[in-house]
Amino acid sequence: MSGNGYLLEVKDLRKWFEVRRGIFSKPLWLKAVDGVSFELRPGEAVSLVGESGSGKTTLGKTILLLHEPTDGKIIFKGEDVTHLKDKKKLMWYRRETGLVQQDPFGAMPSFMTIYRILEEPLIIHKVGDKKEREEIIYKALEEVRLTPVEDFAPKYPHMLSGGQLQRVAIARALILRPSLVVADEPVSMLDASVRVEILNLMREMQESRNITFIYITHDLSTTRYFSEWIFIMYAGHIVERGPTQRVIRNPLHPYTKALLAAIPDPDPENRKRFRDVPPGEPPSLIAPPPGCRFAPRCPVAMDKCKKEEPPEVEVEHNHFVKCWLYV
Amino acid sequence: MLEVKDLRLYYATRKGVVRAVDKVSFTLEKGETLAIVGESGCGKSSMAKALIRLLPRNVHTYDGVVSLDGKNLMELSDEEFRREVRWRQISMVFQGAQNALNPVLKVGFQIAEPLMIQEGVPKEEALERARKALRMVGVHESFADRYPFELSGGMRQRAVIAMAMITNPKIIILDEPTSALDVITQANIMNLLKKIKQEREISYIFITHDIALSSELADRVAVMYAGQIVEFTDAEEFYTNPKHPYSQKLMASVPTLRSDKKLEFIPGAPPSLLNPPPGCRFHPRCDKAIPRCREEEPPEVAVKEKHYVKCWLYA
Repeated sequence: MSGNGYLLEVKDLRKWFEVRRGIFSKPLWLKAVDGVSFELRPGEAVSLVGESGSGKTTLGKTILLLHEPTDGKIIFKGEDVTHLKDKKKLMWYRRETGLVQQDPFGAMPSFMTIYRILEEPLIIHKVGDKKEREEIIYKALEEVRLTPVEDFAPKYPHMLSGGQLQRVAIARALILRPSLVVADEPVSMLDASVRVEILNLMREMQESRNITFIYITHDLSTTRYFSEWIFIMYAGHIVERGPTQRVIRNPLHPYTKALLAAIPDPDPENRKRFRDVPPGEPPSLIAPPPGCRFAPRCPVAMDKCKKEEPPEVEVEHNHFVKCWLYV
Repeated sequence: MLEVKDLRLYYATRKGVVRAVDKVSFTLEKGETLAIVGESGCGKSSMAKALIRLLPRNVHTYDGVVSLDGKNLMELSDEEFRREVRWRQISMVFQGAQNALNPVLKVGFQIAEPLMIQEGVPKEEALERARKALRMVGVHESFADRYPFELSGGMRQRAVIAMAMITNPKIIILDEPTSALDVITQANIMNLLKKIKQEREISYIFITHDIALSSELADRVAVMYAGQIVEFTDAEEFYTNPKHPYSQKLMASVPTLRSDKKLEFIPGAPPSLLNPPPGCRFHPRCDKAIPRCREEEPPEVAVKEKHYVKCWLYA
């Protein structure tokens, strides 16, 4: 751990993808993540919320070094891991981090049994002998409540339901006892009745093992049940971040306000009223608007918003917003 | 206006007969929206296909009564149904339809197509009406001369809604109309659908797995489970006081933004439609099940006027 008590520090992180337009023209850049900074302490859970194309998945994958960062810094346990070239160091980082993907069916090799799927990371990282590995695998299955474990271990992915398979994915992500886990929309492909169960399970394991957890989602209404922190992303930027309850009860950024206004709770009165949401859609990330990226849709945009990028301001303790209204 | 009685749609597969829609009955009044909610695989989309009669090849059983303004549509031949009912009286916005527009045809032409094919409207007039329909759904009419890739996801969805509306049908079936869209775009589309409903006396059948979203349009709600409707009631009743144990659990599993409640989940998974459990199909997951639930299929009980529950607890 570094001296300042942070497990993960992300500093002005950028991930641009090259999009070519023919041989003679200049390359264009799709700026999926464009200057993101935050810190997380050990055992903190954060929800990274944004619409599709906001860069939330890219940010998650870049933090795990599944994408090579274009610019900025990632500091993990006090070490700069931004461009890890040393294989040993990279193995260490891989072991310290885990990923749960959205589609559990696509994330599992169909020709391997559940046992083999869980054994693979242990073999790669040379954990234990055969007997010890079996113990670890059975314990992991028990923890995600796939019991009796002897029944589940020899099964193949197609024999399990989506919810059961997502439990396997969680077990796999946690089997090397990582200290940082990114879960990318882990419940959005599951049925409503199963979602809560999986979220509860992840929360339980996150708390009992003191894992730092980044939960990527487009669904604001589930964040309250999962994390104490919330980061709102829009067009490659984090536009607001703070404690979950405070951001939901007292949103500051006009985009966060719009997002909250767009989400219904079950209520028969809903059908009688119109929702107050801005028109339009998120900008292109190849040529984002100058100034604030939400300005073209923002109901309270000022002249300045269209010209200059707003700075991130700490409005209340730990509650940051990237908006000219609060400068 | 629309009365569906004992509608069945079974598919024949190599593993056996899949009972996707199993004796479903409901009614829909003019200008009213019926939301059909349920988890994936409960038969919601099959029901839509049965209503608009777009059936796959492996149909095993397709019967019951679907009567529109007193006329039983099930007695029509496929050709008569195509000519007189589909799109003229009942149209549909398919799930993910915004991504199913033909990429090489201009948007306006695709919106106008039902008019030309169904009603024989001359091309020029049909295109003019397509432009009007685009304006109605909040897209500038110049987009009629563009190709689908030039429109954003939300605009394409609006175009698909324009296509469903252009023949002035009595009923539009909306099958997960916003499932691939972002929340703000989704709210904008819901606003649009509400506006259309206010301006014209149109009825929607709104199929969704999202309970919270269903309350944006629903006047009445039907809950589907394993091919059957287990509860059918008014929105006011359903969202505040659901009666069927499945509806209650489903409601308790919906995360909410504005109220603090403890979330629950339903243990187990929905049954296979190949071989549904005997008795009540929900009984293996129901914590209120009594011995009778395991043996006998529950009747549809009217617990109140216009509130039907298929459950032994109320019989």
